[in-house]
Amino acid sequence: METDVSADRLAEMLTMAGLSVESIIRLGADHILETEITANRPDWLSVIGVAREISAMTGKKLNMPKIKTPNTAPAQNDINIKVEDAPLCPKYTARVIRGVRVAESPAWLKARIEAMGLRSVNNIVDITNFCLFETGEPMHAFDLDKISGRQILIRKARQAEKLVTIDGKEAVLDPSVLIIADSARPIAVAGVMGGLNTEVTAATQNILLEAAYFDPVSIRRTSRKLGVSTDSSYRFERRVDIENIVYASERAAGLICEIAGGAAEDIISIGQAQDKKRTVSMSGSKLNKLSGMTIPPEKAKAILAGLGLRSISQTTREETFEIPGFRQDLQSEIDLIEEVLRVYGYNNVPDTMPNVMAQTNFDPKLKFEKTARQILCGFGLDEIIGYSLLNKKLAGCAASLPADSIAEIMNPLSAEQEMMRPSLMSGMLGAIAWNLNRKNKDLKLFELGNVYYKKSGDSFGQDKYICVGICGQINGGWDGCARHVQFSDIRGIFENLCEEFGMQEVSFEESQDTRFSSLARAILKIKGRPVGVCGAVSQRLLSEFDIKDKVYLLEVNLEELFGLFLPERRFKELPKYPSILRDISIVVSKETRNAPLVSVIRTAGGFILKSVDLVDRYSGKQIPEEKISLTYRLEYQDPHKTLEDKDVAGVHSNILAALEKNFGAKLR
Amino acid sequence: MKDKIAKIEKEALSEIVSSANDADALEALKVKYLGRKGVVADLFKNMGHLSGDERPQAGQLINALKNTLTNAFEEKLRASAFSSEEKGERFDITLPGTWHKTGKLHPITKTIDEICGVFTSLGFMVVDGPEIETEHYNFETLNIPLEHPSRDAFDTFYLKSDSGKYLLRSHTSPVQARFMEKNKPPFSIIVPGKVFRPDATDASHSFMFHQIEGLVVGEDVRFSDLKGLLNVFAKKLFGKETKMRFRPSFFPFTEPSAEVDISCIICASGENKHSDKRCSVCGGKGWLEILGSGMVNPKVFEKVGYDPEKVTGLAFGMGVERIAMLKYGITDIRMLFENDVRFLRQF
Repeated sequence: METDVSADRLAEMLTMAGLSVESIIRLGADHILETEITANRPDWLSVIGVAREISAMTGKKLNMPKIKTPNTAPAQNDINIKVEDAPLCPKYTARVIRGVRVAESPAWLKARIEAMGLRSVNNIVDITNFCLFETGEPMHAFDLDKISGRQILIRKARQAEKLVTIDGKEAVLDPSVLIIADSARPIAVAGVMGGLNTEVTAATQNILLEAAYFDPVSIRRTSRKLGVSTDSSYRFERRVDIENIVYASERAAGLICEIAGGAAEDIISIGQAQDKKRTVSMSGSKLNKLSGMTIPPEKAKAILAGLGLRSISQTTREETFEIPGFRQDLQSEIDLIEEVLRVYGYNNVPDTMPNVMAQTNFDPKLKFEKTARQILCGFGLDEIIGYSLLNKKLAGCAASLPADSIAEIMNPLSAEQEMMRPSLMSGMLGAIAWNLNRKNKDLKLFELGNVYYKKSGDSFGQDKYICVGICGQINGGWDGCARHVQFSDIRGIFENLCEEFGMQEVSFEESQDTRFSSLARAILKIKGRPVGVCGAVSQRLLSEFDIKDKVYLLEVNLEELFGLFLPERRFKELPKYPSILRDISIVVSKETRNAPLVSVIRTAGGFILKSVDLVDRYSGKQIPEEKISLTYRLEYQDPHKTLEDKDVAGVHSNILAALEKNFGAKLR
Repeated sequence: MKDKIAKIEKEALSEIVSSANDADALEALKVKYLGRKGVVADLFKNMGHLSGDERPQAGQLINALKNTLTNAFEEKLRASAFSSEEKGERFDITLPGTWHKTGKLHPITKTIDEICGVFTSLGFMVVDGPEIETEHYNFETLNIPLEHPSRDAFDTFYLKSDSGKYLLRSHTSPVQARFMEKNKPPFSIIVPGKVFRPDATDASHSFMFHQIEGLVVGEDVRFSDLKGLLNVFAKKLFGKETKMRFRPSFFPFTEPSAEVDISCIICASGENKHSDKRCSVCGGKGWLEILGSGMVNPKVFEKVGYDPEKVTGLAFGMGVERIAMLKYGITDIRMLFENDVRFLRQF
């Protein structure tokens, strides 16, 4: 077609019409536009298809290539063609051309072939490729004299049947693959690639030119199965224009006779002659309602006419159009509306705001997650995001699940993505190792994300978890307050998080979890329900990551946590009467644990004992070995009156007595 | 007598004011005037020499003098106490601060929060969905047929299972169908989340990334609404001057479909003005592709049991990494998942 617009402008126009031009390559005085074609527009997989679009956009006339009618002779009918599987090959055409001279292509053809990014082979092969790009119809030329038994069979392959294709590779076939065969053997994988056994070579004199329609799904399956995608299979699996097959065959035959000589016989055509013409109706009011603007009916009609859609009838409500064969994608009214808007120009549609907004609902769990992230950041923890897919070793080493409960990827790209993380701990330790290796010390990190697992039966589960990892020093600085992280830091993070969420009855119980050191590990419970684990990571697990430093981890099931969360907070009256503070310092055996001590203090303290805080823990010179000194600050308060020293004195000595009785505690 | 008292007051006040800021000296001065044998006590004592009708007035005057001096001493004492704080050691205010550093949210989380914030401010509800999906939701309800080339854009990780139907969602769109099955229009939702595609990893590709999906369904949601809504979004996220263009495209679940480009934020900032090089962000095109969008395909409505004659909808989806990388100028997607704290702490 003639066009007076520049290559840049043309590229812009095509891009804005949905045919994205990715780059423009200059080739002498010529330009090659490289386009990205969406899956719905196989018609754009050809020069004629793109020209048709330009014609619709510019209004310039499309001039189809003039076919030099070959000197056709009647088919000699000495070749027998049989389609055994009509559903997979509803139309098959073949044309015999005798007396061709296989040679190098003329310069113009070679240049075109190379401009399309192909390698010139010989005039016959180049012409079929040229026509494929020009018309969008893949074709194949067989060496007629190599076809055994003068027979072409379109059939499913037999189990383990083999064919060496023209790329020199042997394809092992099975009955899911449609093939072209002669009386003895396969000679092509239908729609994908021809066989070496019938390839056109310099010695070829007579050819059989195939142009056909193959079922898109079948071609796609075969292409995937064999791991081969060709210009031919790419088009067949996107559906070629069945109405255009004879035209394409004539175009190729004409060029062959012109360039390679030879005499063409009449086309042999098997299968349906013509698809029944499809029609689709579009209502103008629907167009206007959906677009949000008024597009005059004449304008809409003109746009569709430009795209080759003929109006065949009209009512007051809608107009009916006949869909050309090359637009298989136009199936329903909405498709026509899109065509009108596309050519009219999306950017010519006004901007409005939808009137369905203002949702009153929200997802409380998402809000919970967001709050959790903010709280953890408030503790000075940096958020990380780790990969959900891991290699087998890393997924397994930090899992608390049995190995067969870990979800596995069927088609990983590499061994690094074989398993779905059953725990956030691997990712956390990986991030800690990454940082330590780069001299980033004193890490305080958290992640909030899904872990995945296989459930019994045929199903999978995914739960949100929080993982915290800390190592190095805290309170770093020049004022001498820096110290190494310890178990109480990781415990404090959990306690503080629970406090922020208003959760009570938080407890820590001894654990047997071997991912942690037996010296410092715990199960976290809220109201007696286990919700997570924490502790010093075991040497065994650290060694998987080559971590030398001491690392403390916390992993909590957020689903459990959310289940125990009471979002409503109620105001509690402030105490009316002052409290009295009393410290109590005792010396006990080093093995004595804090929790039972506090429990005894609470029981003995009765209702006026409001709180018990450990304020000092000391072992050293002033204390016998094997002993520790503990100082608790007790707060006494009576909600109904001001306490006096004498009210507290009795309770305080009861506490001391209880501590002495239960733990052999001595006042320090 | 009156004159005498006035004279004493004047002398005493001047002595107090001029005395050193020294507690001992002040105390001595206080004893001199207000002590048991001090000047004021003396005055009271000498009242005996006055006549009967002079005494009451003199008593008042002496009491007033006593009050004045007492106040003056207190004032001076307080001032001297304040001045003593100046004698302490001067703190080196150039020493670094000691503080409890807050942590940082991951730049992806920040970007998701920001984008969802724009839409929630417009009345959208944030919705979550599963990352392990089925073919049904990831493809079929979205009008992506099995064995169709439109599946090529959605290469997918499958899980090993008996049925073989489980996969890792390759986009956040499955949540559309899940939400529509359980809710009636009208509604407007926004869905952030992780998605997975078996892409070889390089500076701009990752097998795991994040998407945000939006869906508005109602009786007369229009294509012009899609344009208006996304325009407001782009301006809120990238700045008021941001321009936008809609290019026709194809997605199986929307029709009409559009790719949305914004004007290149680097070129627009003028950073490249004086450079001869082509903008490395937009490749010199001046436009950045940031999201895919369209009107919900009637076939999708049919699959979830909505009547496409009664409702229409708009949908859009964007890659969070791409937007985060544009916003923060991050050049390699892999850095987002290395979790190097020198990187994380920049945002």
